[in-house]
Amino acid sequence: MKTFEEKFTAWVDGQLAGKELADFEASLPDKAAADEEKRDVKKLGSFLKHELAGDRLSNADFFNHQLRERIARETADGNREGASSGWWTLPRLVWSAATALAIFLIFAITVTREQNTGDQSAYLTQILNARVDPAINPNASVTMFETQNKAVTVLWTEGLQSLPADYAAR
Amino acid sequence: MQTEATPAQPDVSEPDLIKRCQAGEADAFDELVTRYRTRVFAMIYNMVHNEQDAWDLAQESFIKAWKSIGRFRGRSSFYTWVYRIVMNVTIDWLRKRQVKGAGAEFDDSIQLKEIDPASKTVPKADPPPHAQMERDEIRARINKAIDQLSPEHRAVILMKEIEEMQYHEIAETLGCSIGTVMSRLFYARKKLQNLLRDVYENV
Repeated sequence: MKTFEEKFTAWVDGQLAGKELADFEASLPDKAAADEEKRDVKKLGSFLKHELAGDRLSNADFFNHQLRERIARETADGNREGASSGWWTLPRLVWSAATALAIFLIFAITVTREQNTGDQSAYLTQILNARVDPAINPNASVTMFETQNKAVTVLWTEGLQSLPADYAAR
Repeated sequence: MQTEATPAQPDVSEPDLIKRCQAGEADAFDELVTRYRTRVFAMIYNMVHNEQDAWDLAQESFIKAWKSIGRFRGRSSFYTWVYRIVMNVTIDWLRKRQVKGAGAEFDDSIQLKEIDPASKTVPKADPPPHAQMERDEIRARINKAIDQLSPEHRAVILMKEIEEMQYHEIAETLGCSIGTVMSRLFYARKKLQNLLRDVYENV
């Protein structure tokens, strides 16, 4: 017991003994007033017990009857639920798995297609008429990539045997 | 807790009945209900003050007890276990109905300086003439006073004063500490003293 309220309640109900009781009573500022308060609490308790303890359940047998019916009904409902839940074990489980797989595949294909379409539409690609001497670089090709808003342009050269001397000088 | 005066099968022990209930025997549960129905109903009625509501809540409590009796391990007495269900059902119902009255002031954090336990409490209401005070009027005053307690404070004072349960039994029933029980009891008594002094001093 830590608080005054706890100790006071224990004191009123006769739950304190020995040193605890002596210490508590010594701590009371007005022992006579506290004793009177204790008698008052006891009186309240007796009053409540006298006035409230006599309540009886009318139609007690009907109470049991109604309860038995409810229990029987709920037990029957529970059995029905249990029986129907067995259907999940095989056919419904297989169907559910197949449906989930199909939905996943459709979703995955759709997303992949959209991504590809996005890649193509984001850039323009054109093969340029390469200004490369075919004698020196017979397999050379130049490709230009640029974004649609032309913020970035990339020239991609392949097959060059050597860079033109004037280009290298720049 | 006392049981009804005339149980249907007084020779059958409670542990036997519980075992039979756990095996799914509804008749055994019916016998347990017969033993505790009056006390359970009275306890709920004293908290909600309406016969029909008390009936329904008692039914719901016993249904829950039946459904979960398989988990009863006998670590506490059966009535403490049943009372715990009863209190959960009733306090939940009271909270939903927001029947809290003036219970807000019954916060356990209230400091001692706010209430002097040795002080003489003064009734707030004018006392009606003693000669005209019928039993129904007394009951109405008590109900009105209890309505001003929070559900938890109602439960504590009714279990202590009416059921004469020990602190540890109340704590177990409500799932709180013994200190909390004692603290709630202190404030519930104070409140009822304030509200009912004129009644119980003149009866």
